[in-house]
Amino acid sequence: MNEQKDYLSSCAGGDNPFRVPEGYLESLEDRLLSRIAAEEQPATPAKHPAWRIIKPALTLAAMFALIFGMGYGVLSLTHTLGRGVGSAAEEYASAEEELIRPVSLIDYYQADETEDTSELDEETLVNYLAAELSFADLADIYAQTYKEK
Amino acid sequence: MSTDREILQLYREGGREQAFRLLVQTYKERLYWHIRRMVLDHDDTDDCLQNTFLKVWRSLDSFRGDAQLYTWLYRIATNETLTFLSRQQTRGEYAGLDAADRLSSDPWFDGDEVQTALHRAIAKLPPKQKAVFLLRYFEEMPYEKIAQVLETSEGALKASYHHAYEKIKAWMKEALDAKY
Repeated sequence: MNEQKDYLSSCAGGDNPFRVPEGYLESLEDRLLSRIAAEEQPATPAKHPAWRIIKPALTLAAMFALIFGMGYGVLSLTHTLGRGVGSAAEEYASAEEELIRPVSLIDYYQADETEDTSELDEETLVNYLAAELSFADLADIYAQTYKEK
Repeated sequence: MSTDREILQLYREGGREQAFRLLVQTYKERLYWHIRRMVLDHDDTDDCLQNTFLKVWRSLDSFRGDAQLYTWLYRIATNETLTFLSRQQTRGEYAGLDAADRLSSDPWFDGDEVQTALHRAIAKLPPKQKAVFLLRYFEEMPYEKIAQVLETSEGALKASYHHAYEKIKAWMKEALDAKY
């Protein structure tokens, strides 16, 4: 070992050719302890795993809803502008008349009767009475009608 | 060795930080030079040395005292450095640059041509053989202790050191003959 060392030392000399930056070894303990202190600080608590899974899906859904809402808003706005304000008011009024205005039972029947009689002409009425009523009934109606007059 | 006992006693009595500080103060220089001769570069040495001491801090609880503290520290430092060298080779760092190129551009190396040739020759050794040579040649560690550090038989270490020495001698002669 010593002979071997002597040979290499005679070639390369005994001095250490490497140098260390000034103050490096002196400050090593402090640097190590501050690194240890930093590593041992409690980490911020991790979020619940379920939330981490749901969060991207919720974000995606919210973005989709936002885009859909904006698209719907733009379409509605352009449609309304195309028709003008007057036509929208008229449409609302007719819808109110058709759907909102209350209709009583009496109105319904009266409307029904009016509708039927207005559509019947005299000939159809005579044919109907002749077919459905007996002679005596017809005579009775005739007598009452003329009695009133 | 009395310092080793002092460090361990201090640690067991609850002065963990104080014990660690004493341990670093006692071994930092020896471990620094051991690692530096293996990796050559100061910054790489700093990384390996800090990682070594951080591992020591984390596993000081599990040190049972079967081995001496200093062989345990050398084992951690050597393993950390061998892992570093292996990763460096895998990543292809310093590809195309041999040890002589790196040493000549290192601001923390003042060696002459012969010293450069010696460290260039050491750098060419396989990593584990390099560790054996450095522990024996520069640290003058007995084979028995090197066997504990590297967990190898003494016979295998003696053979390994002999091969390493012969290779270095041949490479040095070749380099110096070419120069002069």
